[in-house]
Amino acid sequence: MAVYKKLEGKSTRILEKIKESLDRLNEKMDVMIEIQKHDQKVNPEIPDVLDVMTLLSLPDHLRKTAVTLCKFGEATAEEVAEQTKRARAVESGYLNQLVIMGYLKKERRGRKAYFYVEKEG
Amino acid sequence: MGKIIALHSYKGGTGKTLLSVNLAATYVKKGKNVCLLDLDFRAPSLHAVFKANNSEYWLNDYLNGVCEIDKVLVDVTQEHGRSGKFFVGLANPATEAIREMSAKDRKWEMRALGRLLSLKTSLLNDMHLDYVILDTSPGLQYSSINAIVSADVVLVVTSLDASDIKGTQRMTHELYDLFEKKTGILMNKVLAEILSSKKEKKKFYERFNNLHKLPILEALPCFCDVLRAGGTYIFSEEKLEHPFTKTLDKLATKIEKF
Repeated sequence: MAVYKKLEGKSTRILEKIKESLDRLNEKMDVMIEIQKHDQKVNPEIPDVLDVMTLLSLPDHLRKTAVTLCKFGEATAEEVAEQTKRARAVESGYLNQLVIMGYLKKERRGRKAYFYVEKEG
Repeated sequence: MGKIIALHSYKGGTGKTLLSVNLAATYVKKGKNVCLLDLDFRAPSLHAVFKANNSEYWLNDYLNGVCEIDKVLVDVTQEHGRSGKFFVGLANPATEAIREMSAKDRKWEMRALGRLLSLKTSLLNDMHLDYVILDTSPGLQYSSINAIVSADVVLVVTSLDASDIKGTQRMTHELYDLFEKKTGILMNKVLAEILSSKKEKKKFYERFNNLHKLPILEALPCFCDVLRAGGTYIFSEEKLEHPFTKTLDKLATKIEKF
């Protein structure tokens, strides 16, 4: 009887561990599905190419940031802020917003984050 | 630091090319180093003015990333220079090239904008040019909006045609203002009698300043002599004492201070 109870306790713990792993897997799957949805764009009319027509369709505050970045090719939030005469933190927020919208890319090099439209070549 | 000037209009046939060529020649006469670029890939024109049909490279090639801008520029200082250096960059007039340029996708247009924006460094900083003049296609098209974004000053050429005036007003709100461009209006082909007296001229300027909510930099009368020349030579280069040439001299000085 004691052996039976011991075995039962062991299998319960194993089952719990399996359930925990499945839950974690489920969460990861949900995140992946969301990312995929975002990549495919909920609204297919929104393009992810930062051309002049896209620039025209952006709200004024983002357009200023986007045009400045186009002029630089690649820049940090600080460099963009110097040109637009707005605070670095404000530009950082706008640049990250443009990254989420799929128009810009971001790359960390050391302590600095660089934003760009497209890599040369 | 030099300036990039784009000449644009809502409708075709307003005189953008004629004014671009003559304005460029006016600056060269004043001793400025100038580069004139034909960005009207749908209807290239400058090759006919500068008789350079056999360029090895065209502006099309520069925007395609095939070559750098120095390979495209044709030095016409010897034929057309007076005091300053004069370069032109031509659009390929071959039907095949026009067809190819009109079928470009959005990604290509995005890269073309990048290449146009980098002209500021290559032409103004490295070549030390004083003025780069961009002759564009009319209306809302990729090549012309790319040119507007790349320019420091936009000159909008408009006639007295009602649809042209309405279209220009719309473009002011929906294009030039959005890119916060320094924009001025050139009223072209104005009937001479409208500008006959100082009083009439003042009334005309006031009316159109209010209408466009933009400065009217110049009102150019319709000159038969200019039409008669038919673009076979650069008018402001040859007819130094003609009122058209004098008006362009005035305009060039206004733009310098604009």
